[in-house]
Amino acid sequence: MPAKRKASSMYHLDVRGGTKIGRDSAVSTPGPATPRSIGSSSDEYSDAEPSESEKENIKKNINSFSVENYKAKQRSHAVAGMDSASHHFGANDFSYLSLKPDHDNRPLWIDPHKGRIILESFSPLATHAQDFLTTIAEPLSRPIFLHEYALTPHSLYAAVSVGLDPKDIINVLDRLSKIPVPDNIREFITSCTHSYGKVKLVLKDTKHYVESSDPEMLQRLLKDEVIGPLRVQGTEEITSAAAPKMTGLVIPGTKNFAGVQQAQLEGAKPKEGEPVQQEDIVATLNEDDDDDEDADAVHHFEIGDTAVETVQKRCLELGLPVLEEYDFRNDSHNANLDIDLKPSAQIRHYQEKSLSKMFGNGRAKSGIIVLPCGAGKTLVGITAACTVKKGVIILCTSSMSVIQWRSEFLKWSNINPSDIAIFTSDNKDKFARNTGIIVTSYSMVAQRGKRSYDSQKMMDFIQSREWGLMILDEVHVVPANMFRKVTSTIKTHSKLGLTATLLREDDKISDLNFLIGPKLYEANWMELAEQGHIARVQCAEVWCPMTTEFYSEYLRHSAKKKQLIWTMNPRKFQACQFLIDYHEKRGDKIIVFADNIYALKAYATKLNKAFIYGETGNAERMRILENFQHNDKINTLFLSKIGDTSLDLPEATCLIQISSHYGSRRQEAQRLGRILRAKRRNDEGFNAFFYSLVSKDTQEMYFSSKRQAFLVDQGYAFKVITHLQGIEDLPGLAFSTPSERRELLQNVLIANDADMDNDDKGDDMFHAMDGKSKFKAKKKANARRTAGALSELAGGQDMAYVEQNKSKNKELKRKKGEHNPFFKKLQRDQEKRRKALDDDE
Amino acid sequence: MSVSSLASFEYLEGLPGTTFRRLYLQPSTALAIFRRMLPHLDLELWVHPNSKSFDHALTLPRQPTEALSLLSRLHIVHITARTRDEPQVVSLTKAFGSSLRLALTGGGDHQSFGVPSNDSTTADVDLNFLDDYAQMQWEGILHFVVSSAGEGMRQGGQGPTAAVKQLLESGHLVTRARHSGGGITQAGFSFLLQEANAQVWTLLLLWIKNAKEMEMDSVDVLSFLFMLGSLELGRAYSTTTLTASQKQMITYLVDFGLVYIPPSTKNQFFPTRLATTLTSDATALRSVAAGFNAAHTNASAMKGFIIIETNYRLYAYTTSPLQIAVLSLFTKLTTRYPNMVSGRITRESIYRAISHGITSDQVISYLSTHAHPQLLKASAAHGGGPVLPPTVVDQIRLWQIENERMKATSGFLFLEFESQKEYDACAKYADEIGVLVWRSDPKRMFFVSRVEQLRDYIKSRKIK
Repeated sequence: MPAKRKASSMYHLDVRGGTKIGRDSAVSTPGPATPRSIGSSSDEYSDAEPSESEKENIKKNINSFSVENYKAKQRSHAVAGMDSASHHFGANDFSYLSLKPDHDNRPLWIDPHKGRIILESFSPLATHAQDFLTTIAEPLSRPIFLHEYALTPHSLYAAVSVGLDPKDIINVLDRLSKIPVPDNIREFITSCTHSYGKVKLVLKDTKHYVESSDPEMLQRLLKDEVIGPLRVQGTEEITSAAAPKMTGLVIPGTKNFAGVQQAQLEGAKPKEGEPVQQEDIVATLNEDDDDDEDADAVHHFEIGDTAVETVQKRCLELGLPVLEEYDFRNDSHNANLDIDLKPSAQIRHYQEKSLSKMFGNGRAKSGIIVLPCGAGKTLVGITAACTVKKGVIILCTSSMSVIQWRSEFLKWSNINPSDIAIFTSDNKDKFARNTGIIVTSYSMVAQRGKRSYDSQKMMDFIQSREWGLMILDEVHVVPANMFRKVTSTIKTHSKLGLTATLLREDDKISDLNFLIGPKLYEANWMELAEQGHIARVQCAEVWCPMTTEFYSEYLRHSAKKKQLIWTMNPRKFQACQFLIDYHEKRGDKIIVFADNIYALKAYATKLNKAFIYGETGNAERMRILENFQHNDKINTLFLSKIGDTSLDLPEATCLIQISSHYGSRRQEAQRLGRILRAKRRNDEGFNAFFYSLVSKDTQEMYFSSKRQAFLVDQGYAFKVITHLQGIEDLPGLAFSTPSERRELLQNVLIANDADMDNDDKGDDMFHAMDGKSKFKAKKKANARRTAGALSELAGGQDMAYVEQNKSKNKELKRKKGEHNPFFKKLQRDQEKRRKALDDDE
Repeated sequence: MSVSSLASFEYLEGLPGTTFRRLYLQPSTALAIFRRMLPHLDLELWVHPNSKSFDHALTLPRQPTEALSLLSRLHIVHITARTRDEPQVVSLTKAFGSSLRLALTGGGDHQSFGVPSNDSTTADVDLNFLDDYAQMQWEGILHFVVSSAGEGMRQGGQGPTAAVKQLLESGHLVTRARHSGGGITQAGFSFLLQEANAQVWTLLLLWIKNAKEMEMDSVDVLSFLFMLGSLELGRAYSTTTLTASQKQMITYLVDFGLVYIPPSTKNQFFPTRLATTLTSDATALRSVAAGFNAAHTNASAMKGFIIIETNYRLYAYTTSPLQIAVLSLFTKLTTRYPNMVSGRITRESIYRAISHGITSDQVISYLSTHAHPQLLKASAAHGGGPVLPPTVVDQIRLWQIENERMKATSGFLFLEFESQKEYDACAKYADEIGVLVWRSDPKRMFFVSRVEQLRDYIKSRKIK
């Protein structure tokens, strides 16, 4: 894995700016009829440079899509509006814009240069405006009073993809804005939306159609020298059909759905598995979308399967990126899957809203839904699968979350357990009937090199099929190359990405826009916390002063060692000890995060707490987690960064972070996410706690403020604690004498480089067994010749076994034997399925 | 009560008794001081049922109150010394009593309330004109104070005159010393934070202090100021009855914007709102910019205009260049809309403010006094919590503390004791009386914050 990551990052160093997007989109949508072998797609790592002409073409495109390009001509500086204060703002002085007379009643300002929008959240129109803005713009910051959004080509792309009309966008903006919408913004919106989403690529009966509501657009494409010849001969005319309507499609779990089911029960014979046709119950899930679309007719022409990629590429060059949609209700080629949400499953309003964006016009659009951790992303995915009712493939980050996804499916939907299979290194099942759901992990699908016979067979099976929906869990963690590989090897009609934090410190997020689709919905964290869907969190940054000895060493050492020194700062240790003690007494369950393995072990053993890191075996992990969840003696758990994502521990209510990955905003948000789903969140006055321990006057302070940026923009406030009340009085406070501190410093200084390595070997929680190939690769390179004594080979040189601080992990080990009921059940299920398979044969 | 009157009183209290006697000869001064004093005092004293006239002496039932002692310091009342046989008696001083009576009854021929000019008045001098004029002059001064930081004046000739600049500099409101950052000083920022009325007084008192060096009669100067406060806005007054120092003074008042002299008729002057509100209380509650706006628009909502968010973004609903300039002292401004500016508070921007000597507390108090009604509403909704986000307030303070690692304690170092015994005893004694700050036994030295008791102790040891 590390090797791959490197490759991808180098690729991005080489290729700058817009070229990425062009490539990504070209590769991302090969379509089901253009099978690509694994070999061909692995070339991606080697030939990173697209041809020159291609580069230029794309650059041209990208440039024409930035707001700056539409910048109004600079006004001369002799304007009357200029005054003595103008020099503070440079080019950003827009005081010359005229206010509307009733501006007090309108909530928006629009920045004509950058396309920034500021919203007064206390205005009476704010809720309406907020809904509208989340659709057309990207939220930048959403604290209490004033929210900021940015209009970007991607956000407008997303707006169009849910069926908004540019005219409407401008009209609504104008209605909400305190100042008339600047001309260049109008122009920007029009041209972006003009080019985006006008042309759609539709899969119908496994045939690809280019579809548009504007026949002239199609004519233009047909006349194009590249696209024209690609049209399938025999279909002479541009055919037209009525535009699809939302009518009749209901997303399960919503209120409408409940009504439909009611009606069905009353009606004669409800046919399961068929699209519901209830004309009297018109699903008006999103009123603002397709009001005027109903009247239009759409026109399309067919193109050959092999031409899909070329057409997409060419359309991008023409500035007409194609939109992919899946008309799943009229897809008779692929078998329907018998799946529905259980009646008990009620989806929340924001989940409904996000899904209504996806199924806006009765077809499935590809895109990304952003919900905070713990806000029920899984249920959104399940509901989407229940809506599409076709073969579904789900990709997760680890084998553990594979298991979690499957059990969630069984929990929320009425799917037959034999219809949902998992594909991991341990399990290689197929579903019993002709269609079903497969849950697997990214690494399984994208794995390079030789596979075992079983998994190769399984992969062939997956690749030979046509899937209705692909759900990509935690899309932010996976490098773009992996996606490209996944999306190119598996043929799917629509893709749904799920994540909590659509941000990366590098620029690769924009890749996702083309690889998967636009961001369809992003929830407001504060709002969800207010409504009790996620826990309220008190955030605090604890400043721990460095002791004199540690600080002087800190100043002397290299960057890498510095990191270890500020992590091992005895004052920080004491603060950590104090906070653990304080919160354990309150009855909280605590997770402590440390990126640094050396520190993790040192802290955990000294404090006698359980810990998990990359090298902890799967069995041991399970045992520790189980104990953390159910044993009221084990209230604290130390985790390395493997626990950052996809770890579902609703018991945890307090989180302490002692070391972290530089300025990664994503990690901060992901870690916060570990406590957002706290079980006790709806208790009166309940607060979860998030502490970030920072050594004062070190670089950590700088990183810390960077890391918090995302959460702060979501409206979280970090309180700075400079002194913990009563820390001196804590009995048994570690490192309270100078000699202890000196000893610690000595240990830290002699810690060798390997110990300081921040990169945890395991990629994520429960991942230890997945990456077999990675360990193999490491072993190969390791033949070396050294001189030494025999005792060295025996491992006996200067080695003595001393156990000073017994590991809590080992204590837990003794209580072996019993299995989690969940796994027992899982085993039973597996056996049942095997039996069923045998019976069939 | 506004800060301004306190400042002016402090100055007055320091004046010798003879000055007061001369000051009180002018009924306008007596009236002005009376008006200013009113809010401080229990009216009971003035309209005491037993007091048949101003000259009647009051017997004090109890200890003189603070108000009374203030009155006596201002030589308004005379309090007899406390003796065994007689209770303390309070009586108005003769000069003040008679002048106040004249002022209240409107008798006499003292002309201390100014002489309306009989010359044909210039038609275009109306209230709006005077307000605009005063605003322009005064904001020019404030602007100079604010934007002397860094970029220098961008006013293009609208700045205050050289004399005013010099005055501001000698009052340490601004500094030209480039090495200390230049521009606005801590005192200057406090000055900005005051209400308009208080600012006027601050500047006037500065000027009066300077006036002594110009050999002007401070009584003349003061009584002229008090007279200005009792003049009528929008009316022309004659300069002919003024004394020489008063005539000299009026040119400065023109610079400050307190007085307007039409170029056509040099022997006329118009007091502006700044001047006529000098001694009154009702209008003293206005802030810098709002003061003027409130004068002719109903912009009562303008008072609070700043919203600060937990993400350190700052939004200010203002169009005033002056307010923006003030904000720019501690904010990184980014965008300006027709009725709003946005920016954010950063570590660097606070550092910059601190380098000018502005303290974090000043910044916080500025933000909270000008907090937007929405912030107030939100804090009221949470049961009267803090108006500003506490995390931001803490952070601003911490940013200041970050640069204040060194703490200076003034005091005395004791060293070179004759014997260990002597050292031990002294150090022990110092510790007991709680003045010991630091000690070093091996070097036989210690540091104390106060020395008096210890000195006596050491002396007494020597004697033994």
